[in-house]
Amino acid sequence: MPLLDDTEARLVERLVARDERAFNALVRAYEGRVFSVALRMLGNRAEAEDLAQEVFVQVFKAVGTFRGESKLSTWIYRIAINLAKNRGKYLRVRRAEAHDDLDALDQGAGTGQDKRENVARVERPDEMMAGLEVEQVVRRAIQELEPSFRECLVLRDVEDLSYGEIGEITGLPEGTVKSRIHRARAQLKERVERVLGAKTP
Amino acid sequence: MTDDREPSDDDPESQAVRALLKRSLAQDAHDAPDLLPGIQRRLRRRSRGKFFGDGWSTAQTRTSYVLVGLMTILLVALAYIALGTVELR
Repeated sequence: MPLLDDTEARLVERLVARDERAFNALVRAYEGRVFSVALRMLGNRAEAEDLAQEVFVQVFKAVGTFRGESKLSTWIYRIAINLAKNRGKYLRVRRAEAHDDLDALDQGAGTGQDKRENVARVERPDEMMAGLEVEQVVRRAIQELEPSFRECLVLRDVEDLSYGEIGEITGLPEGTVKSRIHRARAQLKERVERVLGAKTP
Repeated sequence: MTDDREPSDDDPESQAVRALLKRSLAQDAHDAPDLLPGIQRRLRRRSRGKFFGDGWSTAQTRTSYVLVGLMTILLVALAYIALGTVELR
């Protein structure tokens, strides 16, 4: 059974022929979903916007390699997830380096006692989060999940994709996808409860 | 690490987490930015003007094509009439 319906197949033909108006229509159809995934994966709007634009640039460049073996949306999600994972790695390294630089500065200024007080203040999540809304706590908890768990959770619980589609996007067996989603939900629940001090979300 | 637990979307705990996620993230989805101009700019720059470089392909409707076509025909017609008038004199 073909995975592409007639409308989608015609759209792909036009995209392969470099029809710019067809590409505009594709962007309009998918920009919300691609931005949403990018935002959930990166947790930063500016980075998500930049990444989402890059996803469509890659789609434009690579559409000739699309063989119709999956739905067009699945293929686009796969590009988005792969780029988001790479960008996430890059940002984590950059943050770690910036953190190291700040630590070096910190060691050069102030006494050990000052440093202990600063660390203690930052490491009290209950105080730090006390004034924040539940939504912000959830968003932060998502960012604290392991990226491989986060991608499965986002695709399932936010984007409402099937386990099969998530397997195609991530390249994981369906059983592994289910397991990661289950673990991600448990971790998310535990983190939210810990921060809010509630028993159930 | 092994992935050996069988989850279900139907158990109350999963449903509660899903509902919480949807509720918490609903607002963001409505605030998605307009990506198209930025994407077109990137493609124009990277293709050195081969794509999205003519100012036409970035248009969202056929209106501008039709409008400029009609204006051109009108101008040609006016010029033809004006030249014909001059020759008759």
